[in-house]
Amino acid sequence: MSWSGFKKSMNRAGTTLLQKTGQIERTVDQDFTTEESKYKTFEKECAALQKDGKAYLDAMRAMSSAQLRLAETIDTFYGASDRSSDGAMAAHAYKRSVEELDSGISRELDAPYRTAILDPLGKMNAYFPIINEHISKRNKKLLDYDAARSKVRKMTEKPSEDPGRLPKAQQEHDEAKEIFELLNDQLVREIPVLLEQRVPYFDPSFEAMIRMQCKFAEEGYEKLSGVQRYFDDKVRDDYAAGQLDAQVEGVLQEMRELSICSAA
Amino acid sequence: MKGITKAIMRTPHLMTSKVGMSKKSTDPEFDEYQRNFTTIEGATDKFLKDTKAFTEAVNSLFTSGSSFATHFNTLFHPIASEYDLLGKFPDAAHTIKNVDAYQSALEDLRTTVAPELELIESRVVGPIKELQVVMKAIRKMITKRDHKLVDYDRFNNSLTKLREKKEKSLSDEKNLFKLEQDFEIASNDYDNLNNSMKQDLPRFMLLATRFIDPLFHSFFYMQLNIFYMLLEKINQFSDGKYEVSVPAAQIGEDFIAKRGESAAVVDALSIVQRFISTSKLVSQGRTLSPASSTLGRSPSSVSTSTSTSAAPPPAPPSTFSRSLPPAAPPAAGASAVSEKASYTPPPPNPASPPPYSAGAAAAAAAAAKRAPPPPPPLKPKPAAAPAVHYVTALYDFVPQADGDLEFKTGDRIELVERTNSEEDWWTGKLNGKQGIFPGNYVQEN
Repeated sequence: MSWSGFKKSMNRAGTTLLQKTGQIERTVDQDFTTEESKYKTFEKECAALQKDGKAYLDAMRAMSSAQLRLAETIDTFYGASDRSSDGAMAAHAYKRSVEELDSGISRELDAPYRTAILDPLGKMNAYFPIINEHISKRNKKLLDYDAARSKVRKMTEKPSEDPGRLPKAQQEHDEAKEIFELLNDQLVREIPVLLEQRVPYFDPSFEAMIRMQCKFAEEGYEKLSGVQRYFDDKVRDDYAAGQLDAQVEGVLQEMRELSICSAA
Repeated sequence: MKGITKAIMRTPHLMTSKVGMSKKSTDPEFDEYQRNFTTIEGATDKFLKDTKAFTEAVNSLFTSGSSFATHFNTLFHPIASEYDLLGKFPDAAHTIKNVDAYQSALEDLRTTVAPELELIESRVVGPIKELQVVMKAIRKMITKRDHKLVDYDRFNNSLTKLREKKEKSLSDEKNLFKLEQDFEIASNDYDNLNNSMKQDLPRFMLLATRFIDPLFHSFFYMQLNIFYMLLEKINQFSDGKYEVSVPAAQIGEDFIAKRGESAAVVDALSIVQRFISTSKLVSQGRTLSPASSTLGRSPSSVSTSTSTSAAPPPAPPSTFSRSLPPAAPPAAGASAVSEKASYTPPPPNPASPPPYSAGAAAAAAAAAKRAPPPPPPLKPKPAAAPAVHYVTALYDFVPQADGDLEFKTGDRIELVERTNSEEDWWTGKLNGKQGIFPGNYVQEN
């Protein structure tokens, strides 16, 4: 921090303290307070939206890539004993479908998702630090203004020895007031515009989001359901009836009965 | 304790066999099985890990989807005191009307997927963990078999050595007998274990395949079901409202086509521009809207940061009864000034024209800045009070002509007559004398 910056921040810290103890009057701009609180809500929502939007894309990718790794592992299981059984064939078909799904998602959905969801959100969220800087600047100038005003008031009530000091204080007060009002007016004028624009700004993202969610589900369902052809006809019913779980349990029991497993 | 003793006994042999001093037996058939077993072991661990990754991804997909919908919904509802978004943005009416349904649809999805995930946990993760337990037991047996093999080799080596020894001592003969016994036991143990391994490991592999069959099928249907739920819900929501069966590439294109002016509008706001220096901002603000500067003062002489700022030139006093006060700038009414200029005391106020217009003026302003004393201009106050009015002298004033009122800094002067402009000559009374003096040399109380 530069020296003058440091001096300013020290002075402002002093002003804040005096305001807390009630020695300097604090200016409250109701319009600004209202706009600021709305803006803060907006900022929070946008940040949350960006986080969720990113998480959604990541989850779609993580889902298909986990499936891909699972398919490879299942393949390994069949590879250990026989590669030609029906199960091995199905596992292979599954692997192929999941590969297509995985590459299809990153190929087809990545770009539109970025364009329609992540980019607009990222852009909007990038504005906030700048706007916050404007707000904090405005708050600092407000402190300066409050301090200058109280200085003028004190001098008027109790004129100082040096007659040149009052006009000087008066001038400082005027300057501080001008700067503060400039910044304040700008914020009070433009924040509502920003907030209103959110509706047309995000509107097209909505449709795109729905379409992409649908696309993802559609792709996943279509690719996977093709694998069923390689299954035995009764597998589906067995699954529905909970038979498959019983089979798994049965095999596990057989394993436990192996001599190499039980002997201590 | 027994284990530790055994481990210590085996150590010398392990060392010597490592450096090739003693013979080590191998069984290629068993080694082959063991390799396969190790592969399956690794695959099981991986399967478990990826199943967890998949579950987490699904969970995250549905949670973030629902959360996204909630926040999107908030954005399309009035924030705080806003009202009538629908009326203001008829183009977005479709979205505004549907965000609620969207939110509840995704919230539904999030709750319906929970049982599916539990299913994966109990029907897939559970059995795999069981399998891991089984495989751990087998791994333990393999280790045991390896130990027995070490024992076998160890006694075998000692026995061969002792037998080859030409002259055997008494203790050697005793040892030989003991070793023969030990070797037989070790050889039996090892053979038993090795044979049961060779017999059971292939069976285990087959079982592993039979194990993965139903597990794979179950898991497959669970995955399929998740996609189906997602698809059905979205279709149900978008039915008749949104055209969803479009190619993926068109999604991006449509978005770009529908993107309106709002991005440009937002981008044009000045609060989203990086902050420039305050003085720049102030000067910009003055140029753009001079009216916004509500401070009725001549900004020209503002001492520091704004000295180069733009401002309308102050109107010269209209009723000049005599020459300009000493403060008059050389630029304005040069002839009038010249007569006084020769004996003018330090010009108290440059009152220069807006310095931004010309370099000369800027120079004048700069010169004025150096000139002492720099009295700041004042806010004109309504001279409403008809009562006796006093002003305070800010500087010493030495009379320059007859009729001028002499005073020292700090004197209180009774104001007799003043004009609207401080750049003019005012009339005042001090110590019983009446005279005129430059209005900018004094400050009104």
